[in-house]
Amino acid sequence: MQNSSNGKEAVLTLNKVCKNFGGVVAAKDISFELYPGEVFGLIGPNGAGKTTLINLITGIYKVDGGTIVLNGHDITRAPAHTRARRGITRTFQHPHLLNRCDIETNIYLGVDLARKNKMLNSHDHKKLLDELLEVAGLRLNMRDGIDKLAYGQQKLLEVVRAILTRPSVLLLDEPAAGLNQREMDHIVALVDIALKMNSAVLMIEHRMDLVMSICNRITVLNFGNQIASGKPAEIQDNPVVIEAYLGRKRGAKNS
Amino acid sequence: MGRINRKNLVLLFLGVLVLALLINLPNTSSIYMVRVLNMTMITYLAVLSLYVVFGMAGQSSFAQCGLMGIGAYITANVSTRWGYPPILGMAASMLGTALFAFIIGFALFRLRRFYFSFSTIALMTILNGIFANWTKGTGGPVGMGNLVQFSVGNFIFNTEAKYYYLILGFSIAASIIIWKLFRSPLGRSFMAVRDNETAASCMGVNILLTKNIAFAISGLLCGLAGSLFAFLSGYISATSFALPQSQLYLVVIMIGGSSSPIGALIGSILINLLPEWLRFLKDYMMLIYGVGIMGLMIVLPEGLVGGGKDLYAKLIKWKRSRADAEQGL
Repeated sequence: MQNSSNGKEAVLTLNKVCKNFGGVVAAKDISFELYPGEVFGLIGPNGAGKTTLINLITGIYKVDGGTIVLNGHDITRAPAHTRARRGITRTFQHPHLLNRCDIETNIYLGVDLARKNKMLNSHDHKKLLDELLEVAGLRLNMRDGIDKLAYGQQKLLEVVRAILTRPSVLLLDEPAAGLNQREMDHIVALVDIALKMNSAVLMIEHRMDLVMSICNRITVLNFGNQIASGKPAEIQDNPVVIEAYLGRKRGAKNS
Repeated sequence: MGRINRKNLVLLFLGVLVLALLINLPNTSSIYMVRVLNMTMITYLAVLSLYVVFGMAGQSSFAQCGLMGIGAYITANVSTRWGYPPILGMAASMLGTALFAFIIGFALFRLRRFYFSFSTIALMTILNGIFANWTKGTGGPVGMGNLVQFSVGNFIFNTEAKYYYLILGFSIAASIIIWKLFRSPLGRSFMAVRDNETAASCMGVNILLTKNIAFAISGLLCGLAGSLFAFLSGYISATSFALPQSQLYLVVIMIGGSSSPIGALIGSILINLLPEWLRFLKDYMMLIYGVGIMGLMIVLPEGLVGGGKDLYAKLIKWKRSRADAEQGL
Protein backbone atom coordinates (compact mmCIF):
# COMPACT_ATOMS: atom_id res chain seq x y z
CA MET A 1 0.00 0.00 0.00
CA GLN A 2 1.12 3.50 -0.67
CA ASN A 3 2.14 5.61 2.25
CA SER A 4 1.33 9.03 0.94
CA SER A 5 1.46 11.11 4.06
CA ASN A 6 5.19 11.41 4.50
CA GLY A 7 5.80 8.63 6.95
CA LYS A 8 2.75 9.15 9.17
CA GLU A 9 1.08 6.06 10.58
CA ALA A 10 -2.36 5.23 9.22
CA VAL A 11 -5.24 5.92 11.63
CA LEU A 12 -7.72 3.68 9.93
CA THR A 13 -6.96 0.72 7.72
CA LEU A 14 -9.50 -1.18 5.68
CA ASN A 15 -8.26 -4.51 4.40
CA LYS A 16 -10.32 -6.37 1.79
CA VAL A 17 -13.64 -5.35 3.29
CA CYS A 18 -16.65 -7.12 1.74
CA LYS A 19 -20.40 -6.73 2.11
CA ASN A 20 -23.29 -8.30 0.20
CA PHE A 21 -26.98 -7.63 0.51
CA GLY A 22 -28.54 -10.81 -0.79
CA GLY A 23 -27.10 -11.03 -4.29
CA VAL A 24 -26.12 -7.38 -4.49
CA VAL A 25 -22.44 -6.66 -3.97
CA ALA A 26 -22.19 -3.46 -1.95
CA ALA A 27 -18.49 -3.70 -1.19
CA LYS A 28 -15.93 -6.03 -2.70
CA ASP A 29 -12.37 -6.24 -1.36
CA ILE A 30 -12.19 -2.58 -0.45
CA SER A 31 -8.78 -1.62 0.95
CA PHE A 32 -7.48 1.81 1.84
CA GLU A 33 -5.82 3.73 4.62
CA LEU A 34 -6.65 7.07 6.20
CA TYR A 35 -3.90 9.33 7.52
CA PRO A 36 -4.17 12.09 10.11
CA GLY A 37 -4.53 15.59 8.72
CA GLU A 38 -5.63 14.35 5.32
CA VAL A 39 -8.89 14.46 3.39
CA PHE A 40 -9.76 11.25 1.61
CA GLY A 41 -12.45 11.50 -1.03
CA LEU A 42 -14.86 8.68 -1.77
CA ILE A 43 -16.70 9.21 -5.02
CA GLY A 44 -18.76 7.17 -7.43
CA PRO A 45 -22.17 7.03 -9.06
CA ASN A 46 -25.37 6.54 -7.06
CA GLY A 47 -25.58 3.05 -5.63
CA ALA A 48 -21.84 2.49 -5.84
CA GLY A 49 -21.65 1.53 -2.15
CA LYS A 50 -20.20 4.72 -0.68
CA THR A 51 -22.62 5.15 2.20
CA THR A 52 -22.54 1.40 2.81
CA LEU A 53 -18.81 1.71 3.32
CA ILE A 54 -19.30 4.42 5.95
CA ASN A 55 -21.91 2.23 7.62
CA LEU A 56 -19.37 -0.61 7.67
CA ILE A 57 -16.70 1.62 9.17
CA THR A 58 -19.03 2.97 11.88
CA GLY A 59 -20.42 -0.46 12.69
CA ILE A 60 -24.02 0.09 11.64
CA TYR A 61 -23.53 -2.84 9.27
CA LYS A 62 -21.30 -5.82 10.02
CA VAL A 63 -18.74 -6.77 7.38
CA ASP A 64 -18.98 -10.10 5.59
CA GLY A 65 -15.22 -10.31 5.22
CA GLY A 66 -12.01 -8.38 5.69
CA THR A 67 -10.75 -6.35 8.62
CA ILE A 68 -10.99 -2.77 9.88
CA VAL A 69 -8.18 -1.53 12.11
CA LEU A 70 -8.32 1.74 14.02
CA ASN A 71 -5.14 3.02 15.69
CA GLY A 72 -3.81 -0.53 15.94
CA HIS A 73 -7.04 -1.99 17.37
CA ASP A 74 -9.00 -4.47 15.29
CA ILE A 75 -12.53 -3.04 15.41
CA THR A 76 -14.03 -5.34 12.75
CA ARG A 77 -16.45 -6.91 15.23
CA ALA A 78 -16.84 -3.97 17.62
CA PRO A 79 -20.32 -2.46 18.08
CA ALA A 80 -21.05 1.05 16.78
CA HIS A 81 -20.87 2.81 20.15
CA THR A 82 -17.46 1.29 20.92
CA ARG A 83 -16.10 2.54 17.61
CA ALA A 84 -17.48 6.00 18.35
CA ARG A 85 -15.75 5.98 21.72
CA ARG A 86 -12.52 4.96 20.04
CA GLY A 87 -12.70 8.07 17.90
CA ILE A 88 -14.80 7.46 14.79
CA THR A 89 -17.46 10.12 14.27
CA ARG A 90 -19.70 10.56 11.29
CA THR A 91 -22.38 12.74 9.80
CA PHE A 92 -25.28 11.53 7.71
CA GLN A 93 -26.44 12.40 4.24
CA HIS A 94 -29.67 13.62 5.79
CA PRO A 95 -28.88 15.03 9.22
CA HIS A 96 -29.59 12.63 12.09
CA LEU A 97 -30.33 15.10 14.85
CA LEU A 98 -32.52 14.53 17.88
CA ASN A 99 -35.72 16.04 16.54
CA ARG A 100 -37.60 16.33 19.80
CA CYS A 101 -34.65 17.87 21.68
CA ASP A 102 -33.37 21.41 21.69
CA ILE A 103 -30.12 22.52 20.08
CA GLU A 104 -28.21 22.42 23.35
CA THR A 105 -29.00 18.75 23.95
CA ASN A 106 -27.98 17.93 20.40
CA ILE A 107 -24.64 19.68 20.72
CA TYR A 108 -23.86 18.35 24.16
CA LEU A 109 -24.33 14.82 22.91
CA GLY A 110 -21.04 15.48 21.13
CA VAL A 111 -19.45 16.95 24.25
CA ASP A 112 -20.53 13.85 26.19
CA LEU A 113 -18.80 11.61 23.66
CA ALA A 114 -15.64 13.69 23.79
CA ARG A 115 -15.60 13.37 27.57
CA LYS A 116 -16.09 9.62 27.36
CA ASN A 117 -13.16 9.54 24.95
CA LYS A 118 -11.20 11.74 27.34
CA MET A 119 -10.56 14.01 24.34
CA LEU A 120 -12.00 17.08 25.98
CA ASN A 121 -12.17 18.49 29.47
CA SER A 122 -14.99 20.68 30.63
CA HIS A 123 -12.90 23.83 30.22
CA ASP A 124 -12.08 23.78 26.57
CA HIS A 125 -15.32 22.42 25.14
CA LYS A 126 -16.95 25.84 25.48
CA LYS A 127 -14.06 27.48 23.65
CA LEU A 128 -14.04 24.89 20.91
CA LEU A 129 -17.83 25.05 20.57
CA ASP A 130 -17.80 28.83 20.22
CA GLU A 131 -15.05 28.62 17.64
CA LEU A 132 -16.88 25.96 15.64
CA LEU A 133 -20.20 27.80 15.71
CA GLU A 134 -18.43 30.97 14.61
CA VAL A 135 -16.71 29.22 11.72
CA ALA A 136 -19.96 27.49 10.77
CA GLY A 137 -21.69 30.86 10.69
CA LEU A 138 -24.33 29.59 13.11
CA ARG A 139 -25.93 32.03 15.53
CA LEU A 140 -28.23 29.90 17.59
CA ASN A 141 -30.59 30.14 20.49
CA MET A 142 -29.56 27.02 22.40
CA ARG A 143 -33.07 26.38 23.70
CA ASP A 144 -34.69 26.39 20.27
CA GLY A 145 -35.95 23.14 18.83
CA ILE A 146 -34.22 21.52 15.87
CA ASP A 147 -37.24 22.25 13.68
CA LYS A 148 -36.40 25.97 13.92
CA LEU A 149 -33.26 25.36 11.84
CA ALA A 150 -33.09 25.40 8.07
CA TYR A 151 -31.83 22.28 6.31
CA GLY A 152 -28.38 23.76 5.69
CA GLN A 153 -28.07 24.84 9.31
CA GLN A 154 -28.98 21.35 10.45
CA LYS A 155 -26.23 19.89 8.28
CA LEU A 156 -23.71 22.41 9.57
CA LEU A 157 -24.78 21.72 13.14
CA GLU A 158 -24.22 18.01 12.63
CA VAL A 159 -20.70 18.66 11.34
CA VAL A 160 -20.05 20.97 14.31
CA ARG A 161 -21.23 18.25 16.69
CA ALA A 162 -19.01 15.68 14.99
CA ILE A 163 -15.88 17.85 15.15
CA LEU A 164 -16.65 18.79 18.75
CA THR A 165 -15.84 15.18 19.69
CA ARG A 166 -12.26 15.71 18.40
CA PRO A 167 -12.50 12.55 16.29
CA SER A 168 -9.45 10.70 15.05
CA VAL A 169 -11.55 9.69 12.05
CA LEU A 170 -14.26 12.01 10.73
CA LEU A 171 -16.64 10.55 8.14
CA LEU A 172 -18.70 13.06 6.18
CA ASP A 173 -21.50 11.68 4.03
CA GLU A 174 -22.25 14.27 1.35
CA PRO A 175 -21.75 17.28 3.60
CA ALA A 176 -22.40 19.78 0.80
CA ALA A 177 -25.51 18.20 -0.71
CA GLY A 178 -28.39 20.65 -0.61
CA LEU A 179 -26.24 23.53 0.63
CA ASN A 180 -25.73 26.88 -1.02
CA GLN A 181 -22.30 28.26 -1.87
CA ARG A 182 -21.94 30.20 1.39
CA GLU A 183 -22.85 27.18 3.50
CA MET A 184 -20.45 25.06 1.48
CA ASP A 185 -17.65 27.51 2.33
CA HIS A 186 -18.50 27.03 6.00
CA ILE A 187 -18.19 23.25 5.54
CA VAL A 188 -14.72 23.70 4.02
CA ALA A 189 -13.69 25.91 6.94
CA LEU A 190 -14.98 23.33 9.42
CA VAL A 191 -13.06 20.56 7.68
CA ASP A 192 -9.96 22.75 8.03
CA ILE A 193 -10.43 22.84 11.80
CA ALA A 194 -10.76 19.06 11.87
CA LEU A 195 -7.52 18.78 9.91
CA LYS A 196 -5.75 21.08 12.35
CA MET A 197 -6.87 18.69 15.11
CA ASN A 198 -5.09 16.00 13.09
CA SER A 199 -8.29 14.14 12.30
CA ALA A 200 -8.37 11.90 9.28
CA VAL A 201 -11.30 13.00 7.17
CA LEU A 202 -13.18 10.75 4.77
CA MET A 203 -15.66 12.55 2.57
CA ILE A 204 -18.33 11.29 0.23
CA GLU A 205 -19.29 14.06 -2.15
CA HIS A 206 -20.87 14.61 -5.54
CA ARG A 207 -19.79 18.24 -5.94
CA MET A 208 -16.65 17.70 -7.98
CA ASP A 209 -15.33 21.22 -7.47
CA LEU A 210 -15.31 20.60 -3.71
CA VAL A 211 -13.81 17.12 -4.03
CA MET A 212 -11.04 18.22 -6.37
CA SER A 213 -10.13 21.24 -4.27
CA ILE A 214 -9.90 19.79 -0.78
CA CYS A 215 -9.19 16.06 -1.13
CA ASN A 216 -5.61 14.83 -0.91
CA ARG A 217 -6.44 11.40 -2.27
CA ILE A 218 -9.52 9.93 -3.89
CA THR A 219 -10.95 6.46 -4.35
CA VAL A 220 -13.67 5.81 -6.90
CA LEU A 221 -16.29 3.15 -6.24
CA ASN A 222 -18.59 1.54 -8.77
CA PHE A 223 -20.91 -1.37 -7.98
CA GLY A 224 -19.00 -2.03 -4.78
CA ASN A 225 -15.65 -2.19 -6.56
CA GLN A 226 -12.70 0.12 -6.12
CA ILE A 227 -12.15 1.11 -9.74
CA ALA A 228 -9.52 3.77 -9.23
CA SER A 229 -7.42 5.43 -6.54
CA GLY A 230 -5.03 8.32 -6.57
CA LYS A 231 -4.50 12.04 -6.43
CA PRO A 232 -7.32 14.30 -7.68
CA ALA A 233 -5.54 15.13 -10.93
CA GLU A 234 -4.96 11.45 -11.72
CA ILE A 235 -8.59 10.60 -11.03
CA GLN A 236 -9.90 13.43 -13.17
CA ASP A 237 -8.20 12.08 -16.28
CA ASN A 238 -8.76 8.40 -15.59
CA PRO A 239 -10.83 6.96 -18.47
CA VAL A 240 -12.32 4.21 -16.27
CA VAL A 241 -13.70 6.87 -13.94
CA ILE A 242 -15.10 8.96 -16.75
CA GLU A 243 -16.78 5.87 -18.14
CA ALA A 244 -18.31 4.95 -14.77
CA TYR A 245 -19.73 8.42 -14.39
CA LEU A 246 -20.83 9.10 -17.93
CA GLY A 247 -21.55 5.54 -18.96
CA ARG A 248 -19.44 5.79 -22.14
CA LYS A 249 -18.86 2.52 -23.94
CA ARG A 250 -15.37 1.08 -23.81
CA GLY A 251 -14.85 1.72 -27.49
CA ALA A 252 -11.49 3.32 -28.02
CA LYS A 253 -8.92 1.36 -26.07
CA ASN A 254 -7.10 3.70 -23.81
CA SER A 255 -5.44 1.51 -21.24
CA MET B 1 -26.97 29.28 35.82
CA GLY B 2 -28.54 31.22 38.68
CA ARG B 3 -29.27 34.35 36.72
CA ILE B 4 -31.36 36.82 38.68
CA ASN B 5 -33.85 38.28 36.30
CA ARG B 6 -37.56 38.92 36.39
CA LYS B 7 -38.51 35.55 35.02
CA ASN B 8 -36.49 33.67 37.66
CA LEU B 9 -37.85 35.85 40.45
CA VAL B 10 -41.40 35.19 39.32
CA LEU B 11 -40.67 31.47 39.18
CA LEU B 12 -39.13 31.55 42.66
CA PHE B 13 -42.12 33.45 44.02
CA LEU B 14 -44.54 31.01 42.41
CA GLY B 15 -42.55 28.08 43.78
CA VAL B 16 -42.68 29.40 47.33
CA LEU B 17 -46.38 30.13 46.96
CA VAL B 18 -47.15 26.63 45.70
CA LEU B 19 -45.01 25.08 48.43
CA ALA B 20 -46.80 27.08 51.14
CA LEU B 21 -50.12 26.04 49.65
CA LEU B 22 -49.09 22.39 49.55
CA ILE B 23 -47.87 22.49 53.16
CA ASN B 24 -51.09 24.07 54.33
CA LEU B 25 -53.36 21.76 52.34
CA PRO B 26 -53.96 19.04 54.98
CA ASN B 27 -55.13 21.68 57.48
CA THR B 28 -57.85 22.89 55.19
CA SER B 29 -58.96 19.62 53.62
CA SER B 30 -61.05 16.72 54.84
CA ILE B 31 -59.28 13.47 55.71
CA TYR B 32 -60.87 11.95 52.64
CA MET B 33 -59.42 14.66 50.44
CA VAL B 34 -55.95 14.20 51.97
CA ARG B 35 -56.27 10.53 51.17
CA VAL B 36 -57.07 11.39 47.57
CA LEU B 37 -54.06 13.72 47.47
CA ASN B 38 -51.82 10.98 48.85
CA MET B 39 -52.98 8.59 46.16
CA THR B 40 -52.47 11.35 43.59
CA MET B 41 -48.85 11.75 44.61
CA ILE B 42 -48.27 8.00 44.51
CA THR B 43 -49.77 7.98 41.03
CA TYR B 44 -47.46 10.88 40.21
CA LEU B 45 -44.37 8.91 41.31
CA ALA B 46 -45.45 5.97 39.15
CA VAL B 47 -46.15 8.24 36.19
CA LEU B 48 -42.82 10.00 36.77
CA SER B 49 -41.19 6.59 36.42
CA LEU B 50 -42.95 6.33 33.09
CA TYR B 51 -41.66 9.77 32.17
CA VAL B 52 -38.11 8.42 32.50
CA VAL B 53 -38.57 5.26 30.50
CA PHE B 54 -41.21 6.50 28.02
CA GLY B 55 -40.96 10.30 28.00
CA MET B 56 -37.18 10.45 27.95
CA ALA B 57 -36.04 7.08 26.61
CA GLY B 58 -39.05 6.49 24.35
CA GLN B 59 -39.93 2.98 25.55
CA SER B 60 -43.62 2.61 26.31
CA SER B 61 -43.87 0.19 29.21
CA PHE B 62 -47.06 -1.46 30.42
CA ALA B 63 -45.29 -3.02 33.37
CA GLN B 64 -44.96 -0.02 35.69
CA CYS B 65 -47.73 -1.17 38.02
CA GLY B 66 -46.12 -4.60 38.18
CA LEU B 67 -42.87 -2.97 39.25
CA MET B 68 -44.85 -1.02 41.82
CA GLY B 69 -46.24 -4.32 43.05
CA ILE B 70 -42.74 -5.74 43.47
CA GLY B 71 -41.87 -2.70 45.57
CA ALA B 72 -45.00 -3.07 47.69
CA TYR B 73 -44.48 -6.78 48.35
CA ILE B 74 -40.80 -6.31 49.20
CA THR B 75 -41.79 -3.66 51.73
CA ALA B 76 -44.53 -5.88 53.19
CA ASN B 77 -42.14 -8.81 53.55
CA VAL B 78 -39.11 -6.95 54.85
CA SER B 79 -40.91 -4.61 57.27
CA THR B 80 -43.93 -6.60 58.44
CA ARG B 81 -43.10 -10.29 58.06
CA TRP B 82 -39.42 -10.13 58.92
CA GLY B 83 -39.74 -7.13 61.21
CA TYR B 84 -36.93 -4.96 59.88
CA PRO B 85 -37.23 -1.16 60.27
CA PRO B 86 -39.67 0.33 57.72
CA ILE B 87 -37.02 2.57 56.24
CA LEU B 88 -35.00 -0.52 55.40
CA GLY B 89 -38.06 -2.02 53.76
CA MET B 90 -38.41 1.07 51.63
CA ALA B 91 -34.74 1.03 50.62
CA ALA B 92 -34.98 -2.67 49.79
CA SER B 93 -38.06 -1.97 47.66
CA MET B 94 -36.34 0.72 45.66
CA LEU B 95 -33.11 -1.18 45.10
CA GLY B 96 -34.80 -4.54 44.58
CA THR B 97 -37.22 -3.18 41.99
CA ALA B 98 -34.47 -1.27 40.20
CA LEU B 99 -32.32 -4.39 40.07
CA PHE B 100 -35.23 -6.48 38.82
CA ALA B 101 -35.97 -3.95 36.07
CA PHE B 102 -32.31 -3.77 35.09
CA ILE B 103 -31.95 -7.54 34.76
CA ILE B 104 -35.29 -8.21 33.05
CA GLY B 105 -34.44 -5.30 30.72
CA PHE B 106 -31.71 -7.35 29.08
CA ALA B 107 -34.41 -9.72 27.84
CA LEU B 108 -37.15 -7.16 27.08
CA PHE B 109 -34.97 -4.68 25.20
CA ARG B 110 -33.96 -7.34 22.71
CA LEU B 111 -37.30 -6.28 21.26
CA ARG B 112 -37.92 -2.87 19.80
CA ARG B 113 -40.73 -0.35 19.85
CA PHE B 114 -44.20 -1.88 20.13
CA TYR B 115 -42.77 -5.38 20.31
CA PHE B 116 -41.11 -4.19 23.50
CA SER B 117 -44.44 -2.79 24.67
CA PHE B 118 -46.13 -6.15 24.04
CA SER B 119 -43.44 -7.89 26.05
CA THR B 120 -44.07 -5.54 28.97
CA ILE B 121 -47.76 -6.50 28.84
CA ALA B 122 -46.60 -10.10 29.13
CA LEU B 123 -44.32 -9.18 32.04
CA MET B 124 -47.18 -7.37 33.75
CA THR B 125 -49.43 -10.41 33.34
CA ILE B 126 -46.78 -12.78 34.68
CA LEU B 127 -46.08 -10.52 37.67
CA ASN B 128 -49.79 -10.23 38.43
CA GLY B 129 -50.08 -14.02 38.24
CA ILE B 130 -47.24 -14.37 40.74
CA PHE B 131 -48.77 -11.77 43.06
CA ALA B 132 -52.12 -13.59 42.99
CA ASN B 133 -50.82 -17.12 43.45
CA TRP B 134 -47.54 -17.18 45.37
CA THR B 135 -49.15 -17.75 48.78
CA LYS B 136 -45.86 -17.83 50.67
CA GLY B 137 -44.39 -14.60 49.35
CA THR B 138 -47.39 -12.44 48.54
CA GLY B 139 -50.25 -13.95 50.52
CA GLY B 140 -51.76 -15.22 47.27
CA PRO B 141 -55.33 -14.18 46.48
CA VAL B 142 -55.90 -13.03 50.06
CA GLY B 143 -53.11 -10.47 49.85
CA MET B 144 -51.17 -9.14 52.81
CA GLY B 145 -52.85 -7.13 55.54
CA ASN B 146 -52.04 -5.52 58.88
CA LEU B 147 -48.88 -3.99 57.46
CA VAL B 148 -46.79 -1.89 59.82
CA GLN B 149 -46.90 1.91 59.59
CA PHE B 150 -43.92 3.80 58.29
CA SER B 151 -41.75 5.12 61.08
CA VAL B 152 -38.41 6.80 61.54
CA GLY B 153 -36.99 6.10 64.99
CA ASN B 154 -39.89 6.66 67.39
CA PHE B 155 -41.86 8.88 65.04
CA ILE B 156 -44.71 6.85 63.61
CA PHE B 157 -46.61 7.99 60.55
CA ASN B 158 -50.09 7.10 61.76
CA THR B 159 -52.31 9.75 60.16
CA GLU B 160 -53.16 10.65 56.60
CA ALA B 161 -51.66 14.11 57.15
CA LYS B 162 -48.32 12.71 58.29
CA TYR B 163 -48.21 10.47 55.23
CA TYR B 164 -49.09 13.49 53.14
CA TYR B 165 -45.90 15.25 54.20
CA LEU B 166 -43.83 12.09 53.81
CA ILE B 167 -45.05 11.43 50.28
CA LEU B 168 -44.84 15.11 49.39
CA GLY B 169 -41.18 15.13 50.47
CA PHE B 170 -40.37 12.10 48.34
CA SER B 171 -42.30 13.50 45.38
CA ILE B 172 -40.43 16.79 45.48
CA ALA B 173 -37.06 15.06 45.89
CA ALA B 174 -37.81 12.69 43.02
CA SER B 175 -38.98 15.58 40.82
CA ILE B 176 -35.79 17.54 41.42
CA ILE B 177 -33.58 14.54 40.65
CA ILE B 178 -35.48 13.72 37.46
CA TRP B 179 -35.45 17.41 36.48
CA LYS B 180 -31.65 17.44 36.88
CA LEU B 181 -31.42 14.27 34.83
CA PHE B 182 -32.80 16.15 31.82
CA ARG B 183 -29.59 18.20 31.34
CA SER B 184 -27.18 15.44 32.34
CA PRO B 185 -25.16 13.17 30.02
CA LEU B 186 -27.32 10.23 31.09
CA GLY B 187 -30.54 12.12 30.33
CA ARG B 188 -29.16 13.14 26.95
CA SER B 189 -28.30 9.55 26.11
CA PHE B 190 -31.90 8.57 27.01
CA MET B 191 -33.28 11.19 24.64
CA ALA B 192 -30.80 10.26 21.93
CA VAL B 193 -32.05 6.67 22.09
CA ARG B 194 -35.62 7.92 21.94
CA ASP B 195 -35.13 10.20 18.95
CA ASN B 196 -32.67 8.32 16.80
CA GLU B 197 -31.00 5.05 17.74
CA THR B 198 -28.61 5.11 14.79
CA ALA B 199 -27.38 8.60 15.59
CA ALA B 200 -27.17 7.70 19.27
CA SER B 201 -24.95 4.68 18.73
CA CYS B 202 -22.74 6.69 16.38
CA MET B 203 -22.32 9.21 19.20
CA GLY B 204 -21.05 6.50 21.53
CA VAL B 205 -24.31 5.65 23.28
CA ASN B 206 -24.70 1.98 24.18
CA ILE B 207 -28.34 1.52 23.20
CA LEU B 208 -29.15 -1.64 25.16
CA LEU B 209 -27.38 -0.52 28.34
CA THR B 210 -28.96 2.94 28.17
CA LYS B 211 -32.45 1.49 27.86
CA ASN B 212 -31.69 -0.82 30.77
CA ILE B 213 -30.54 2.06 32.94
CA ALA B 214 -33.67 4.05 32.07
CA PHE B 215 -35.79 1.04 32.99
CA ALA B 216 -33.84 0.58 36.24
CA ILE B 217 -34.35 4.22 37.25
CA SER B 218 -38.04 3.87 36.49
CA GLY B 219 -37.96 0.69 38.61
CA LEU B 220 -36.43 2.67 41.46
CA LEU B 221 -39.29 5.16 41.35
CA CYS B 222 -41.90 2.40 41.04
CA GLY B 223 -40.33 0.64 44.02
CA LEU B 224 -40.67 3.85 46.02
CA ALA B 225 -44.28 4.35 44.89
CA GLY B 226 -45.16 0.73 45.71
CA SER B 227 -43.50 0.92 49.10
CA LEU B 228 -45.34 4.13 49.99
CA PHE B 229 -48.57 2.55 48.81
CA ALA B 230 -48.04 -0.47 51.08
CA PHE B 231 -47.34 1.72 54.12
CA LEU B 232 -50.21 4.05 53.38
CA SER B 233 -52.95 1.50 52.75
CA GLY B 234 -51.78 -1.14 55.22
CA TYR B 235 -53.15 -3.83 52.92
CA ILE B 236 -51.99 -4.98 49.49
CA SER B 237 -53.30 -7.58 47.09
CA ALA B 238 -52.81 -8.57 43.49
CA THR B 239 -55.84 -6.58 42.31
CA SER B 240 -54.01 -3.33 43.12
CA PHE B 241 -51.20 -4.20 40.73
CA ALA B 242 -52.85 -5.23 37.50
CA LEU B 243 -52.61 -4.34 33.83
CA PRO B 244 -55.49 -1.77 33.75
CA GLN B 245 -53.63 0.33 36.30
CA SER B 246 -50.49 0.24 34.14
CA GLN B 247 -52.51 1.27 31.11
CA LEU B 248 -53.95 4.12 33.12
CA TYR B 249 -50.44 5.41 33.85
CA LEU B 250 -49.69 5.53 30.13
CA VAL B 251 -52.96 7.38 29.53
CA VAL B 252 -52.02 9.81 32.30
CA ILE B 253 -48.65 10.67 30.76
CA MET B 254 -50.18 10.98 27.29
CA ILE B 255 -52.77 13.42 28.61
CA GLY B 256 -50.32 15.44 30.67
CA GLY B 257 -47.64 15.36 28.00
CA SER B 258 -44.59 13.12 27.93
CA SER B 259 -42.13 15.94 27.24
CA SER B 260 -41.67 17.05 30.83
CA PRO B 261 -42.23 15.94 34.46
CA ILE B 262 -44.86 18.67 34.68
CA GLY B 263 -46.93 16.66 32.23
CA ALA B 264 -46.74 13.70 34.61
CA LEU B 265 -47.87 15.95 37.46
CA ILE B 266 -50.78 17.54 35.61
CA GLY B 267 -51.91 14.18 34.27
CA SER B 268 -51.80 12.59 37.73
CA ILE B 269 -53.80 15.42 39.26
CA LEU B 270 -56.43 15.25 36.52
CA ILE B 271 -56.83 11.50 36.61
CA ASN B 272 -57.23 11.39 40.40
CA LEU B 273 -59.18 14.58 41.03
CA LEU B 274 -61.36 14.74 37.93
CA PRO B 275 -63.48 11.75 39.01
CA GLU B 276 -64.05 13.57 42.33
CA TRP B 277 -65.09 16.75 40.56
CA LEU B 278 -67.23 14.91 38.04
CA ARG B 279 -69.06 12.94 40.72
CA PHE B 280 -72.25 14.96 40.22
CA LEU B 281 -72.58 13.36 36.78
CA LYS B 282 -73.23 10.04 38.53
CA ASP B 283 -73.83 7.23 36.04
CA TYR B 284 -72.58 9.24 33.09
CA MET B 285 -69.27 10.08 34.73
CA MET B 286 -67.12 7.40 33.12
CA LEU B 287 -68.72 8.10 29.73
CA ILE B 288 -67.97 11.83 29.86
CA TYR B 289 -64.54 11.08 31.26
CA GLY B 290 -63.71 8.67 28.44
CA VAL B 291 -65.01 10.98 25.71
CA GLY B 292 -63.10 13.84 27.31
CA ILE B 293 -59.81 11.91 27.18
CA MET B 294 -60.40 10.95 23.55
CA GLY B 295 -61.17 14.54 22.65
CA LEU B 296 -58.07 15.74 24.44
CA MET B 297 -55.86 13.29 22.55
CA ILE B 298 -57.29 14.50 19.23
CA VAL B 299 -56.98 18.20 20.02
CA LEU B 300 -53.68 18.02 21.91
CA PRO B 301 -51.66 15.03 20.69
CA GLU B 302 -48.61 16.31 22.59
CA GLY B 303 -50.59 16.40 25.84
CA LEU B 304 -51.57 19.37 27.95
CA VAL B 305 -48.00 20.55 28.49
CA GLY B 306 -47.12 20.32 24.80
CA GLY B 307 -50.37 22.07 23.88
CA GLY B 308 -49.70 24.77 26.47
CA LYS B 309 -46.23 25.37 25.06
CA ASP B 310 -47.64 25.71 21.54
CA LEU B 311 -50.23 28.15 22.77
CA TYR B 312 -47.59 30.20 24.59
CA ALA B 313 -45.41 30.32 21.47
CA LYS B 314 -48.39 31.43 19.40
CA LEU B 315 -49.26 34.10 21.97
CA ILE B 316 -45.73 35.55 21.85
CA LYS B 317 -45.76 35.51 18.06
CA TRP B 318 -49.14 37.26 18.05
CA LYS B 319 -47.94 39.86 20.54
CA ARG B 320 -44.83 40.51 18.45
CA SER B 321 -46.73 40.86 15.22
CA ARG B 322 -49.13 43.27 16.92
CA ALA B 323 -46.24 45.31 18.28
CA ASP B 324 -44.71 45.38 14.80
CA ALA B 325 -48.02 46.48 13.33
CA GLU B 326 -48.32 49.29 15.85
CA GLN B 327 -44.80 50.48 15.08
CA GLY B 328 -45.66 50.48 11.44
CA LEU B 329 -48.57 52.86 11.99
